[in-house]
This record gives sequence, C-alpha cells and structure tokens, in this order.
Amino acid sequence: MLKIDQYAYTSSLRHVHPGEKFAFAMLTMSICLAASSVLVPALVTGLTAAAIILGARVPARFYFRLLLLPLGFLVAGLLAITLTISREPDPAVYGFAIWGITLGVTIPGLYHAALLFTKSLGAVSCLYFLSLTTPMVEIISVLRRLKVPALIIELMGLVYRFIFVIMETAGSMYISQTSRCGYASLKTSFRSLAQLVSNLFVKSCYHSQALFTALLARGYTGEIRMWEDPRPVSRKNLALIALVDFILLVLVLVSWRWPV
Amino acid sequence: MKEFILEARDIHFVYSDGTIALRGATMAIEKGRKVAVLGSNGAGKTTIFLHFNGILRPGRGRVLFAGREVRYDHSSLMHLRKNVGIVFQDPDTQLFSASVVQEISFGPLNLGLPEKEVARRVENAMEATEIADLRDRPTHLLSYGQKKRVCLAGVLAMEPSVLICDEPTAGLDPVHAAQVMELFDRINRQGTTVIMATHDVDLAYSWADYVFVMNRGTVVGEGLPGEVFCDGQLLQQSDLTRPWLVEIHEQLSRRGWLPDGLPLPRTKEQLFDYIQRASGSGKPALVHLFPRGKMHPECASCNVGRK
Repeated sequence: MLKIDQYAYTSSLRHVHPGEKFAFAMLTMSICLAASSVLVPALVTGLTAAAIILGARVPARFYFRLLLLPLGFLVAGLLAITLTISREPDPAVYGFAIWGITLGVTIPGLYHAALLFTKSLGAVSCLYFLSLTTPMVEIISVLRRLKVPALIIELMGLVYRFIFVIMETAGSMYISQTSRCGYASLKTSFRSLAQLVSNLFVKSCYHSQALFTALLARGYTGEIRMWEDPRPVSRKNLALIALVDFILLVLVLVSWRWPV
Repeated sequence: MKEFILEARDIHFVYSDGTIALRGATMAIEKGRKVAVLGSNGAGKTTIFLHFNGILRPGRGRVLFAGREVRYDHSSLMHLRKNVGIVFQDPDTQLFSASVVQEISFGPLNLGLPEKEVARRVENAMEATEIADLRDRPTHLLSYGQKKRVCLAGVLAMEPSVLICDEPTAGLDPVHAAQVMELFDRINRQGTTVIMATHDVDLAYSWADYVFVMNRGTVVGEGLPGEVFCDGQLLQQSDLTRPWLVEIHEQLSRRGWLPDGLPLPRTKEQLFDYIQRASGSGKPALVHLFPRGKMHPECASCNVGRK
C-alpha cells in the first residue's frame, strides 16, 4: 500500500492534471464493465498495463505483483461460478460423476467465467492506473470538484494522513517493545501486541484531541477549506482519452449487437 | 509608557481530568518584544499559551489582547486567532493535510482572504522558512525538522501580530535551530511580537529581551535576562540552571581575570572580546586560564608567556 503511494508521487504522469487521469480511469472502467465480450476488457487490461508501465514508468515486475493480489479472490470466486453440480447426467456438462452427482463445467459457464475474469481484471487495472499515477490528495481534490459532500472529503483526507501517523506510532512502539524482549515468546508476544493495540487506541484519541486544538488555533470553524494549485488542462490528453474511450465504446456496442 | 499586547491577569485553570494547570498566573507581554517563557515540564507554559489564543477559557481571571478583554464569541475569537498564532511542539499533532501547500494555506483560507492573497502568503511563508522545495512533497515523507518548519510556515502565513512557539528548537539539529532563531529575529524586526517557551536557558538568555519563569502554574519571576539569570534562588526553585555565559563570566570576574563592572556578556563573541581586552595586548591572556606553574609546551599562549 505504501509502495503504491510512493509511486503515485514519483510516476512520470504525476504532473498530468488529476482530472484527466480520473476521467480516463472512470470512463474506461465503465466501458469495460459494460462489455459483453472478452475483447474489450482484455484490451483495457493491456492498455492500462501499457500506460502504467510505459507511461508512468512503474516497474513491470511490481505491477504484475500488484495484479496477482486480486487474482486470488478472482480464482476462488470463479471456481464457484464455473463448476456445475447436477443430480441428473447432463450431456452439456463436461466432468465426472461420483455417487450419482455430476461435477463439471459447461461451455457457456466457462465463457461466462472468462468474461467475468477479464472484466474484473480490466476494472482493477483502471483503478490501479489511477492510484499509481495520482496522489491521494489530488484524487480528493477531484472528488471535491465533483461536489462529493465535504464531510466525506474531509474524512478521506484525515484518514489518509492518520494512516501514516498511526503507522509510525505503532512502528516505534513495536521497536521499543522488541528492544525490551517483548516478542521473545508466544506468551509475551500476545501480551505485547495487546498492549500495543490498546496504547495505539489511547494515543489516537490523544492525537485527535491535539489536532483539533491545533486546527482551532488556526481559525478552524468546522470546515476545512483547501487550496488548489491551478493546473492547466491538456487538450492533447483530453483528445487522446476521448479517442481511446470512443473506440472502446464502439467495440462494446458492436459486441452487444453481434455477440461473439 | 509600555504597551502590552497580551496580558493574563491572575488566571486559574483546571483541566477536565482534575489537573490544576494554572494557579493565579499573571503575565504581561510587551508589544514588539522577544519574550522567552521558561519553566520545567508541567509548569503551565502551554496552558497559558492556549489561553492567549482563546482555545482555553480561564476558570478565574482575565485575558487581554491589545488592552481589551478577550471575549469568546465567534467573531472575537476569529479576530484573536488571526492575530495570535501558536506553533505547537509536536508537528505530527498539528499537520492534518498530506500536502504541504494545503497545510500552509489552511490558516489564510480560514481568514476568508482572496485567493491571490492566500497564494502570496503561502509563497512568502514557504520562502521565509526555506521549504519552497518541499511544496509538492507529501507531509508523511518529510523529516522531523522539515515538518516543524511546515508547521511554522502554516502559522506565519496567517501573518499574526504575536507569534507563540512552544519549544521551537526541540528536536532540531543545531544548524536548523539557529535558522529558526534567525527567522524569529527577522520577523521580530518587522514588528511581530515573538513568544517562545523553552527549557534551553542558554538560548533564552542570548535571544530574549524579556524573560518569564513559570513554576507550578504561576509566574514566579520575570525581568530582563541579565536580572533573571543572576537570581540563583529563583532558578533553583524552578528546576533551571544558569546559562554557561553567566557562569563563566562570574567565575572569571571572581578570580580577577576580568575587570569588575563589565556588563554580563549576551553572546559568546562578547565574552571572547572581554577576555581578549582584559589581556591587554591580546595574545597571552589565555595563559592565566591555566593553573599557575603548569606550562603546556604545545600551547601557543604558554609559549608566548615563556618567551
């Protein structure tokens, strides 16, 4: 998770307008999810991979490892969809029978699974594209422009900031416990971990109190207003996004009309 | 006639957990001064600062800003917080934003300033604290010293007339600590009153125009640095020590190595100058600093003395 954050700040697409990246990711994802053949989702997966590896210069190895993360969930979910279990022998089912129950797969089932697989992978790659090229702060600023309620925006911002504060606190507590043999045996490990978690909770409460005081001191009145650095929108990028998404959309419409 | 910008008159304050933080603290800050507030941990320094900014309301007593009693309605508080800025000790409790620019712009935006003015102030504050190159860095990737400077910039951008800093140099390396003190001098010359809480007696002695000493919730002493730091009893009862400059000056004077009646040196350069002048021609003075009868063959001063 931290690695993703790091790449978001160092990617070559870092200074592209966040709105452009957001639009590209969201449009492409919607088109991908609307597809009814494997062609478009596969294209989307390839396209975003190219954009991430060649465009944003994220190392390919790292990106493929990221793609493996959702793969586990996908495979488990797909097994449940592909496998057909029936009591009567069914000529459409390719499989084997035990104790009078046929266990196997059907051709439409396989196709359905493949479609679902590519669609999920395509959608996940779109989100990866956004999170690997756009820092959280900028994603939040796009959401603010889109008039997402202030409460959600502020919470997102604070949660994001405090992930790091709390992680650092937990890290230093862990080190200090370890240096006093806190994790020497299973028993002490359990005790130390329990203390770490409860302490972290108390510290977080203290932190939020102190933060509130500090915000008040700078004139906080219940709303966090945010400064946005003006960013030029690139017409070239917009045209490129429009072109790519238009082609994908046409392909989807074609596949609706003439399913493979 | 002295003009006081901030005044606390006989303030009592008890935290909700029952800790008695202030027991009749009285402190009057003169406008345009460089003020150091000294005191051990738990003496009440931070608590009195939070009163100056209107965060805490005194249980008993009064707080005055520019001669007027502080009121606690919305617009009076905004006026007070616009004029009195506090930089807290721990930067991680103050930084709320992941972006340096957004963090610094928070205060000015709360003042309802036009966008251009906000941009100008943010730039100025970043320049003054020398963090312009950190502009687009996320706050969680900053070092402790950088975070501290971002916090300072966030308050400077509000352009307060009083700047209060809680332990501004704690946790900074010597170079950055010196930079922060220079920055304080600079904004002080532009007319800002600067108040600093510190444990560092040497720093307070060299830097401040006026010193307050707090202990157990009250102000137990105040005055010019030269007066306060010569009051051994006051320092001792407040768990403080004497600055090394005062100590060495006293030792040298007592042994007759420095002429009587010289004012206390405020900087080490001043002390070195005294030593040099006391030795007449300037060169062999240091020979007197060594025990009599002992010569150091490698030491230039001893060799000069021998010839």
